[in-house]
Amino acid sequence: MKARKDFHQQLDELYLELLRMANATMEVLERTRAAFRDVDMEAAQSIIEGDDEIDGYVTRIDGEGIKLLARQAPVAIDLRTIVIIMRISQELERAADNCVNISKAMENMQGYALSPWIRENMDEMFRWAIKIIVGAVNAFKERDPDMAEELTRMDDTVDRINREFLTTYDRESEDETELVVRVVMTARFLERVADHGVNIGKEVRYMVTGEFAD
Amino acid sequence: MDDQRERITEYTRKCADSFLQETRMEEPGPRMTLDNLSMSYGDFRALEDIMLEIPRERITAIIGPSGCGKSSLLRCLNRMNDIIPGCRVTGEVRLDGENIYDPGYDVIRLRRTVGMVFQKPNPFPKTVYENVAYGPRLAGVKDKGELNGVVEESLKKAALWEEVKGKLLGPAMNLSGGQQQRLCIARVLAVEPEVILLDEPCSALDPVATQRVEDLLAELKERYTMVIVTHNMQQAARVSDFTAFVMIENQGEPGEVVEFGETNHIFTNPADERTERYITGRFG
Repeated sequence: MKARKDFHQQLDELYLELLRMANATMEVLERTRAAFRDVDMEAAQSIIEGDDEIDGYVTRIDGEGIKLLARQAPVAIDLRTIVIIMRISQELERAADNCVNISKAMENMQGYALSPWIRENMDEMFRWAIKIIVGAVNAFKERDPDMAEELTRMDDTVDRINREFLTTYDRESEDETELVVRVVMTARFLERVADHGVNIGKEVRYMVTGEFAD
Repeated sequence: MDDQRERITEYTRKCADSFLQETRMEEPGPRMTLDNLSMSYGDFRALEDIMLEIPRERITAIIGPSGCGKSSLLRCLNRMNDIIPGCRVTGEVRLDGENIYDPGYDVIRLRRTVGMVFQKPNPFPKTVYENVAYGPRLAGVKDKGELNGVVEESLKKAALWEEVKGKLLGPAMNLSGGQQQRLCIARVLAVEPEVILLDEPCSALDPVATQRVEDLLAELKERYTMVIVTHNMQQAARVSDFTAFVMIENQGEPGEVVEFGETNHIFTNPADERTERYITGRFG
């Protein structure tokens, strides 16, 4: 069964490449979380510079995915898998881009002291966003279509914290405008990261069941 | 709009290239070279100035619409066109540097070295054993032991041995279509070819038999150079390393090679618009 086995081997390799990319993305998320907590400008800079690595994954996955589609004309689960792998890689790339955005937003935060309120709540937001991404990646790894619902519930928490940053903090903070803006932007970027995780969950459901979410 | 399209094209080219960078096949030298090959049947010019290099130990597919000269081109590679009355060939076809159309070239030896498998499986109306032994016997192998060895090895190489080892002395015509086709491949392999030509080898076979033949071709390319004519584009995409697209501009005109390249490129980003129209089904 050499010719078809080669195709399925290549499909497995594509699947593994996406998992490698997911690992890289989760690592960037953790580093961004630490960088923000410590207002570590060097760490932020290294996150910005490392973004090319994540982009490289997208190029490789797209290239390989397109080639498999062109040459093997896959159907059913194979077709859905390849298309969804390419979609998920873009969601991960955008999640990583948001980490870059957070790191760039930190540029003008140097010298400011983060209040315990900011530090705690942002870290909580990071924690949930990372949890959603990890959950989504696991859903892909385990081909679990039901994770999508749980991810949506977790996203509600992220949205709630984001609203607090938008309303309570923005309104009542005595911090300087520059810092307020950066902090609110950061919360927004994290909310986006969580959204990408939720999207991945939905895409996994489509991959496994062949049905689009309502 | 054009700007956007160009950026998209550049991106997909970068994608195809990024894959190719990792797994670029070493450029193999050509096994056969077609140099200004033209062919006519009487007054009708079928092929015009064909320039093509067939890479060694790779599978090259020839695709194109019906009637464009693909099979004619294939038959030029082992001078099967010689037997067609009124057929004239100009230009050169070189096998390992020698022009096979040189007067005095050993055509019998050519047809052993460059074997052919046809669209409709055509086993001899003999036993399975005799089908495979026929060629070597004709070539002078007399020793029974040696013949047995050649038959077994050829049937094994054709992935048919396990299925027929218990019925070697049974009639070949009793085999299924797919088995008959693999028997024909075994027959070709028995005379130790270097190049195998296949003219739509799967078009008479069901999907399962087709897959078995395609798997076999993938194994065989480690040792043999193969050229396959197919009207099944998916097959060309699955099976081949290189693809040549042949077409005629208008009815009555001779066939030409519009594009030749790595199959990855042809099916993800062909250079010629005519190739793209054909493979995307916008043809005609």
